[in-house]
Amino acid sequence: MKILTTIKKVIDVELNLHVQDGSIVEQGLQYVINAWDESAVETSVQLKENNSAETTLVSIGGGDNTDIIRRCYAMGIENGIHIDDQSWDKADSFIFAKTLQKVYENGNYDLVITGKQAQDTDNGQTGIILAEYLGLPCVSNVIGIEVVDDQHIKVSRAGDGGTEIIDLELPAVVTVDVSINEPRLPSMRGIMMAKKKSFDQMDLSALGTSVDEIGLSSPKSEVVEFKEPKMRQAGQKFEGDPAEITPQVVNLLANEAKVL
Amino acid sequence: MAKILVIADIKQGVLKGSTSELLSKAKDLGAETAVLAIGSNIESLTNDLVNAGSDTQYIADDSSLELFSATPYAFCVLDAAKQFGADQIWFGFSESGKAVAPKVAAQLDAACATDIVDVTLQDDQVEITRPAYANKLIQRVKVNTEKLVAVVRAGAFEATEGISGTENVVKLSPPEKDVKAAIKDIISDATGEIELTDADIVISVGRGVRDQAGVDQVKELANDLNAGVGSSRAMVDGGFMPHNTQVGQTGKIVAPSLYMAFGISGAIQHLAGMTGSKVILAVNKDPEAPIFNVADYGIVGDLFEVLPILKEEIKKVRS
Repeated sequence: MKILTTIKKVIDVELNLHVQDGSIVEQGLQYVINAWDESAVETSVQLKENNSAETTLVSIGGGDNTDIIRRCYAMGIENGIHIDDQSWDKADSFIFAKTLQKVYENGNYDLVITGKQAQDTDNGQTGIILAEYLGLPCVSNVIGIEVVDDQHIKVSRAGDGGTEIIDLELPAVVTVDVSINEPRLPSMRGIMMAKKKSFDQMDLSALGTSVDEIGLSSPKSEVVEFKEPKMRQAGQKFEGDPAEITPQVVNLLANEAKVL
Repeated sequence: MAKILVIADIKQGVLKGSTSELLSKAKDLGAETAVLAIGSNIESLTNDLVNAGSDTQYIADDSSLELFSATPYAFCVLDAAKQFGADQIWFGFSESGKAVAPKVAAQLDAACATDIVDVTLQDDQVEITRPAYANKLIQRVKVNTEKLVAVVRAGAFEATEGISGTENVVKLSPPEKDVKAAIKDIISDATGEIELTDADIVISVGRGVRDQAGVDQVKELANDLNAGVGSSRAMVDGGFMPHNTQVGQTGKIVAPSLYMAFGISGAIQHLAGMTGSKVILAVNKDPEAPIFNVADYGIVGDLFEVLPILKEEIKKVRS
């Protein structure tokens, strides 16, 4: 089984983010692997270990991605592709999906595993659109994968009313939730081995496509402005004897906030 | 006049309030509205669909549609959108909506926006607003295509009091089953407890609640209040709460009238899932806990001392 896993380098959202003139202030930002993609990587590596899958990752944009690709190598991914010759700032999910379509078509994969969303845009669209472009079946928000045979996997999906069990014919696309696994920490040996490995650095023409074909010159939607949200104001804080302050707070909830 | 198709949110045979919220917003924008209901044995919902504020009701009612499956559902949406001539298709916040919206958008070659909190229409220019970066930033997004497919964030729009519609039912023919991604079963997570995203009051437990005994104490209060019970990631990782109760960027996003946080410090990840609540009450030992920065009312103290008093006092004011 050949698996393609997508990873995205994203701004670390644990840190404070600020906006100036409608754009994110670059100063002080740090970048990490998207958490959902890290779970996709772990899923792929487990399929390699348990079902002899061959694992390839692809990353689009982000400038120098050597660090995150090496981290995935250290976790156990075997091959890497990085596509980056453009600014991807204006790219919507359709553009990423079109680019991934090209990568898929060059590779003859059985399964594509993506994180269900990226922790920067929180869009949750790319994997589903990719499947649509490829004409492949897709299951999103996957929390478990079991290999049935060369052509089938059984997946569980966190749906609205519970866990959905789906028989999926390969080739297929799945997008995974972080709850599918706990990504491993790379071992020291893995880290040392990863340093010796290289990855394919490609531009769009090497991929056999162009800015116009993937739609980068005509996005379907574009962010025109960032704003900092109106922060909730800290309200009234009560300290002291619970027997005194608790009734006060209940009174406020009932008569001031009127929510009881 | 813009035409907006709202996909009805139906759970266990009941039409959820979000459908009326979306239809109300569509009418506020001056749009002609239609609703699409997909499911099995749902003919009894017609009245509810009209009263929710729709002018046309597309109904795909077939036994094959009992369990959610993305491809047949997308087929129904595309069918209704085509018949109606929809400019925009809106889904309420749900896992099925999040799965189907990008699929439909790809087929229509339309823009797709998830988690939106606002839409504006001005001289044919559509713009949406949505949070991103774990709720830390708000994006204003310009739509460059004629059509838009959107998933609306829970609690983003309010239902108009006394909204009504006109009955004009169009039955859709059932789609083919998806054999490549074949839905086999659903293991229901219905525990008899109130569903988190529907609850008017949500009570969440964090690390400070410590253990199962602590969780049970909080659940007693939740029972009294008919509240949904949520949790922080720590309690899920600790095995005290099921995964589907986690509130936050990686879990559920809730916007109840009252959110009570017990023993939750307020990590960014958690705040991303609950700061849309109307009123927030936090109980925490640590006066410096970040949860107090977003709480309307904060009690600094031992939650195990506070909880029984809170329970009694709430009983008093509600009786």
